[in-house]
Amino acid sequence: MENEQHLALLGAIAQGDKKAFSELYQSTSQQLYAVSLKMLTRKELAEEALQEAYVRIWHNASEYRQGKGSVLTWMISIVRYRALDVLRYNKVRKESEFDESNNFDIETIEQVSDAEQLLLDKCLQQLDTQQRQAIYLAYFNGCSHKEVVKHLNNPLGTIKSWIRRGLMSLQSCLTS
Amino acid sequence: MNYQSENLKNSLAAEYVLGTLRGPARQRFQKLMMQHSAFSEATSTWEQHLNTLGQKLPPVTPDSSVWLRIEQQLGFTDAPVQNNQPIKTSEQTVSKVVPITKARSRVWQSIAGLASAAALVLAVLLVNLDTSVPDTKQLALVNNEQTQLLWALEISADTISVQATKSLVAQANADYELWIVAADGRAPISLGLLPKTGKLSLSKPAIFDQIEIAALAVSIEPLGGSPNGSPTTVLYTSKLVTLS
Repeated sequence: MENEQHLALLGAIAQGDKKAFSELYQSTSQQLYAVSLKMLTRKELAEEALQEAYVRIWHNASEYRQGKGSVLTWMISIVRYRALDVLRYNKVRKESEFDESNNFDIETIEQVSDAEQLLLDKCLQQLDTQQRQAIYLAYFNGCSHKEVVKHLNNPLGTIKSWIRRGLMSLQSCLTS
Repeated sequence: MNYQSENLKNSLAAEYVLGTLRGPARQRFQKLMMQHSAFSEATSTWEQHLNTLGQKLPPVTPDSSVWLRIEQQLGFTDAPVQNNQPIKTSEQTVSKVVPITKARSRVWQSIAGLASAAALVLAVLLVNLDTSVPDTKQLALVNNEQTQLLWALEISADTISVQATKSLVAQANADYELWIVAADGRAPISLGLLPKTGKLSLSKPAIFDQIEIAALAVSIEPLGGSPNGSPTTVLYTSKLVTLS
């Protein structure tokens, strides 16, 4: 239902409809900002990534293809890439900021009902706890391999292998 | 593609989307995506898999100033956003942000200066230009360093008609993007991608007639245009000429 509304708005945006763009922003910016803020932790950086993401969404609205995930998923991809760029430009994260970001609590995750998300949930639950933790730290907190090492106190090679194997298990579960 | 390289492709795509593929490896993967559709397809599948995760986070409402800055960057509004207004976090933040904005506007002022040097060339070329769009109001010609004409732009009430010339040797893995450089030093406003061959009509935003335009600029960008809404590398600039 929500995705159909987003699709209609995106179609109008591709034709240059500014009102539709404003509506899409109202409907989605809270979710995109949550993603950006979780990764970047600093308000001004999270806002920068959010702003750049919406500028890109305005220009690239016609590039969205149905059947490649929901509109919101596509938009989250865009804001995550922008946030990763911002992380790269502000290379050194202060240790204190990094520790503050270490508050990821799986219990606070919202329950979801969407079929796509239910399948992902099921597949994530099938992973080893350590693999899942490592993937969550990389996904939500934007951690590099080395940063995941600090959180989970295991050697780099082990962390890399948890992430790689976790992702491959996820793929076979999702496509089976 | 054999089984092993299929696995490698999927691993790389997954870690690209997750964000753990970094540094030169990330750049190499971006190039692979430009060259081989199998890589961009694998990436798109992983985006679909992983980025539904982002919907699990509890929503957070961004500051209302973000929307204002988006509107301004896209040229929806004329009024520049005041720097001292939206940022309330700390003194430290304010002092950090202001110099960057100033530095930016200096860059654009110097580009505007550069453009006036090219105006003489424009005057010479103008004589031979055939204005095929009947209600053409303004013209701009984009030349390279050897003063060869690369693109001719005819600007009417609501469109910008662009013709690429044979002198243009376009790079296959890059796109060329057209920008407004405003006289007031605000961030450049994108007008869209330029054609590599033939003719293309771009829609003209309302702001085009509402602000003083110091110059138009052409930047070189990854395929699909600027990744962040700002020009990556400016190659050429051109002055607008208003027809009487």
